[in-house]
Amino acid sequence: MEGVITTQARVIGALVLRETRTAFGDTQLGYLWAIVNPALSTLVLVMIFSAIGRSPAFGTSFALFFATGVLTFQTYSRLSGSLMTAINSSRGLLSYPLVHEADLLISKYILITLTYLMIIIVFFTLIIWWDNAALPVRPEECASAFLAVSLLGLGAGATNAVLLRLWPTWKQIDGIISRPLFFLSGIFYVPSDFPSHIVKILAWNPILHGVEWFREGYYGNYDSVVLSKPYLLTCAIILLLVGFYGERLYRKKSH
Amino acid sequence: MIEFQNVRKTYRLKGVTKTILHGLTAKFPKGKNVGILGHNGAGKSTLMRLIAGAELPDSGRIKRNVKVSWPLGFGGGFAGKMTGIENTRFVARMYGQDTERMVEFVEDFSELGPSMSLPIQTYSSGMKARLAFGVSMAIDFDCYLIDEITAVGDARFKQKCNEMFESKLKHSNIIMISHSEGTIKKFCDTACLLHEGRLKMYDSLAEGLAQHRKNQLK
Repeated sequence: MEGVITTQARVIGALVLRETRTAFGDTQLGYLWAIVNPALSTLVLVMIFSAIGRSPAFGTSFALFFATGVLTFQTYSRLSGSLMTAINSSRGLLSYPLVHEADLLISKYILITLTYLMIIIVFFTLIIWWDNAALPVRPEECASAFLAVSLLGLGAGATNAVLLRLWPTWKQIDGIISRPLFFLSGIFYVPSDFPSHIVKILAWNPILHGVEWFREGYYGNYDSVVLSKPYLLTCAIILLLVGFYGERLYRKKSH
Repeated sequence: MIEFQNVRKTYRLKGVTKTILHGLTAKFPKGKNVGILGHNGAGKSTLMRLIAGAELPDSGRIKRNVKVSWPLGFGGGFAGKMTGIENTRFVARMYGQDTERMVEFVEDFSELGPSMSLPIQTYSSGMKARLAFGVSMAIDFDCYLIDEITAVGDARFKQKCNEMFESKLKHSNIIMISHSEGTIKKFCDTACLLHEGRLKMYDSLAEGLAQHRKNQLK
């Protein structure tokens, strides 16, 4: 018998490849749409905001400032939303004894994270080229921030999946909770624009810390007033534990 | 050999609890082909999913030291947007098989021709069943789990499936659910009967079938 880990790695690999086909399998460009689609819709947002002459809250390029926020945020929100329904939408696959619920979550996590990594690389290349934006000062910090945000998304998505299983109304509730996050995550502004009692409230949002971390890495002289990496990582670890422990408790019991 | 140790399985749906197994301890011995008998809704398919490991028991353990298939005759794991070839490749990758060899086998066995490169949402149910059978027969398992093979395809394809089974049975075993006594008699040498949450094993096929008939008259 071969090792459990090799088998699981093989299964997850097969699931990742399968997902690239099922998501956009019947269109001409196939999975490229997964990159083109969010990239273009973000580009439209950037153009609208640049056209109405908004000046960036930090730096000289509005496009760059906006992208550092919105792409980090989208990495999280896409993961947390898609993983919530990943198990339900692939329920048929669980008939294969080799496929476990956690594999469905992890394969989707890998694919979405890689997709957003590509989007980010393509997007920043374009901005640097068109808008004469600067190169990232500490790319390794940007990469760490991205990874931390993606883990936060994995934890939130896995937790959502468990909550959805126990309580089908959760999908609606999550929609209500998540919508304001777009405005609370520092996409359009820097937290220091606000008085300190508001900053204290905003600082509860771990995604804001992810955005701030990414910006510190990109700009070099950003000097965030709220950033606490341990806080973001703690949130991610707690959600991961709750999500994956809950998945173990409730796996394959309700059909 | 597949061993059940005090396995309990219940379903709860809208406040109604249904017990499929009340703490079952049993062995499905190696080298025996077993037919699973029972009423509609007795939980035969659930029992099969437990044997496969596609579902977990509420309590107890299920040990398998042989390579068991997924419950065959079921194409629920196929993605409608993917072509026959892509679905085949997916299963091949998952089970660590040579993908191109497996696609060749399935093309040959299922006789789907050019339809293999079409998304399977365009397939008829018969075509999907052929694909599902081809895919499962392409992998060598020690034990094949078969849920109602008789529902598959036209007479000629059924004949082909039967021949394939007979050749597989030389090296492997099957555990099968069928409502057709003829099919059970053809492939199985022992039976087990699932009735009201209890599973009884019969060494003699005839005895098991007789009890099953008696239960159905009640």
